[in-house]
Formats: sequence, structure tokens, C-alpha cells
Amino acid sequence: MDIKDIKAIYKFLKETDIVELELEGEGGKLRLKRGGLVAVEEPRPVAVPASQKEVKKEEPAAAPAGNVKIVTSPMVGTFYRSPSPEAPPFVEMGSIVKSGQTLCIIEAMKLMNEVESEFGGKIVSILVENGQPVEYGEPLFHIEASK
Amino acid sequence: MQEKEVEIVRILRAGPGNEKKYVSGQALSSRLGVSRTAVWKHISNLRKMGFLIEASPSKGYSLKGEASFNGVEIRSALTTGTIGKKVFFYPSIDSTNIKAFELARSGEPEGTVVIADAQSNGKGRIGRRWESPPGVNVYTSIILRPDCPPQAAQNLTFLSAVAVAEAVGAVCPGRPTVKWPNDILIDSRKVAGILLEMDSEADRVHFVIAGIGVNVNMKAMMLPDPVRSIATSLAEKSGHEVDRTHFVRTLYASVEKWYKIYLMEGFGPILSAWKGYFDAEGKPVKVISFNRSISGICAGVDESGALLVRDPAGAVVRIISGDAERG
Repeated sequence: MDIKDIKAIYKFLKETDIVELELEGEGGKLRLKRGGLVAVEEPRPVAVPASQKEVKKEEPAAAPAGNVKIVTSPMVGTFYRSPSPEAPPFVEMGSIVKSGQTLCIIEAMKLMNEVESEFGGKIVSILVENGQPVEYGEPLFHIEASK
Repeated sequence: MQEKEVEIVRILRAGPGNEKKYVSGQALSSRLGVSRTAVWKHISNLRKMGFLIEASPSKGYSLKGEASFNGVEIRSALTTGTIGKKVFFYPSIDSTNIKAFELARSGEPEGTVVIADAQSNGKGRIGRRWESPPGVNVYTSIILRPDCPPQAAQNLTFLSAVAVAEAVGAVCPGRPTVKWPNDILIDSRKVAGILLEMDSEADRVHFVIAGIGVNVNMKAMMLPDPVRSIATSLAEKSGHEVDRTHFVRTLYASVEKWYKIYLMEGFGPILSAWKGYFDAEGKPVKVISFNRSISGICAGVDESGALLVRDPAGAVVRIISGDAERG
């Protein structure tokens, strides 16, 4: 059975109440379990021993003003501001960014994720320091969205 | 693309089924559904790629010599349905990951692979290079499009480790081990490295590029000094040169096999298989992540694959990024 077929069947499965499905045919036997593609059900915080915890993040005192959008982390990982230590950061305070522009990399278990801005505008806050761990949904940048 | 050429190589390697080892132009023409002139053009192209094709006016064409290392040869004997369906082969490139990322961005399908004989700017983990001399190793990147949220994509780190370990184990005596999360070692020396790059939005993965570098026939002296003492190659460990084309096909077949298991049964079987290669549990470990390090005893991995380290105070720390060295 081809990868395309497996994915098509899984997609169909998601629309039903079926949790587990077993198919037998000429191509062989196929067993599919719902929920098979999600490893971690909930975001988990990274445990850091007390001695190594740094006072790093200040939670914003209040939600930012209407036109300011928050970019959050799509996954648990380590936040990097540039593609490599010698390279300049993707963005700085005051940088004007376009929708789709790379803002940072979040890395976890050798998986690099370039986080792109959904919005065009100006970077008005950078909320995490280079190399710090971040959680799923954690605010990374504030962007003052352009008109 | 190069479908006809791939087919010709497949037919010529298989032979006509009799002793003569020549396949007539007429036979090729009818099997491919093209004219004799077109056949001749394809043969010319193949020769330009380095294939040794002998043409005898009365007997036909015969393919001589060992398997070469290029996209056509690789594709001509792939056993996979998806991985390697499209092959972009480069004698030399900056980085197969960079190219694969571009191709994925422009919509190339899952299973498309980029493979190069040499890289000028091979990527390692943040800030590091992957040494990529020509003629000896495998540098390849695979486009995957798992239908999952970004938090689940790190499962592919372990999936790729299992697939590469399996392919390495198939050509080398002795069982490889894995250094968390996905370095493949033989006798504690690194033989393969894997780097994954993802493009996603908040709740959906667009694609993941699995970049795989395997030291196949490289001699240790080809590596710069600091790396030389910690790396090895399949040839060094097995005592003989390894056919790269054959190895690449084995690798792609392994990736396809484990990807199917992942799609059908989830992360459980992948992590189980990975643990079978992981031998650091209970041993001293030092984890260096960014600007700090944690030393302790490895307490295995949790169900998401995060490394667990028991520090000297007895607390268990959960690591998701970093280099884990023997302590």
C-alpha cells in the first residue's frame, strides 16, 4: 500500500467516529489507529533545575494595544534569533517585516523550525533571549501591524 | 523528466533474459513506445552521464560496468513507491537541505529527494558544517509532508534515526547505536548525522526536510582534525568499499518502511525501535545546550523522546535540545 493511500485513508478516518481500522486486501494488511500522528497530547513545560533557572522573561503587563500582533511559538523548543552563531539575527527591534518573513528558529530534537510572520509590520518587542527554551504558545515577538 | 532513461537502464541491467546480454534497438523502441531515433538520443544522454553502453549494430545495446552513482541509476532500481519517486541529483551543490527546502516550497511532492556527490556548505546543527567531500559519501535530503501539528514533527527525528540505523546495519557488521537524538554511531564513532528542517504554520506542518549525511567510503584522513577522531565510515568498519547506489536505495526503502509504520501506528513503534539502538541509559552523560551544561546519569527518554538526566542532586531534568556526550 502506498504512502498516499495510507494518508488518504487516515484523512477519511478523521471524519468518522472510527478509532481503529483494519483492512485486508490484495496489497496486504493495514491497521490504522486514530491519534497516531500526535505524540504529545498537551504542551509540557521544560523542567529546568532551580539552580539554572534564569530570570529572563518578563510577561507583558497587559495585552498589547489593538494594532500590535503577538507571534507565538508553534512548538516547545529552543529559540534562536539567527540561523547560526556568526550570522546576524533574522530581525531586530524596529525591523520592518513582511508577511511570510522568517523571524527566528525554534529547535527541538534536531528539528529546526523557521517561524514566519503571519503579519507585515514593525517589530516592537522581542520577548525571548537567544538560546532560551520556549513553550508551545509562548509569546516571542510583538509586531505593530501595518495598515 | 528522465523517465525513459531510467527505464532503459532498468531494461539493460535486467538483460534480455538470454545469454546474449544485448537488447536490440527494436526491443527498446517498442517497450518504451518511442522511435529508434529517440532511443538513440536517450542512449547518448546516458553515455554523457557516464553510463558505459556498448552498441553493436547487429546485436543491440549492452550496459557495462558497475552501478554508477547518479539519479538515473538510483531510480532505476528503487523498490519504494514514494520515497525517491523524484530524484534531483547534483554532482556538487551548496546543501541538499537548502535545495530540498526550495523544492518543497515550490510544491514538489512528498518523497522527492535531493542527493549530491559533494556539498560546499553542508549543514550541521545550529552553526556547524557537515563535511562533504566528493566521491565517497551520501548526502541526501527527503521531502516529507506529514499531516500533523508542528509539536508532533519532532517524532520524525527518531523516525529518521531508526531508518538510517537500519540501513547502516544492513551493510555493516555489528549493530549501530544512536546518540540522542539521532546521530548514528558504530563502535561509538559517528557514521551518520541527520538534520530536520520544518516549514509550518501555527497548527499545521507544510513540510519537513530530512537531511541525512552518511560517511560511506570516506577515509578518516579526509576529515579535518577535530572531527577525525570521532567519526568513521561504513567502509572503515566493514573493511570493504560500499556501493553507494545500493546503499541509497536501501536507505530510501528504510525511510519509506518506517514512515508508513508512523502514519499507521503513530510514534510508539518508532520510539520502541529507537530505544533498541540507544545504549546510554544508566550511563554518565553530559548535555550541552546553548550556554549551559548538565551532567548526570542518563535516565532514558520519556514518551515524547525527550532525554532524561538525573542530576547529582537526584532531580530528573528533561532535555529537548542539546548535545548529549558520554560524561
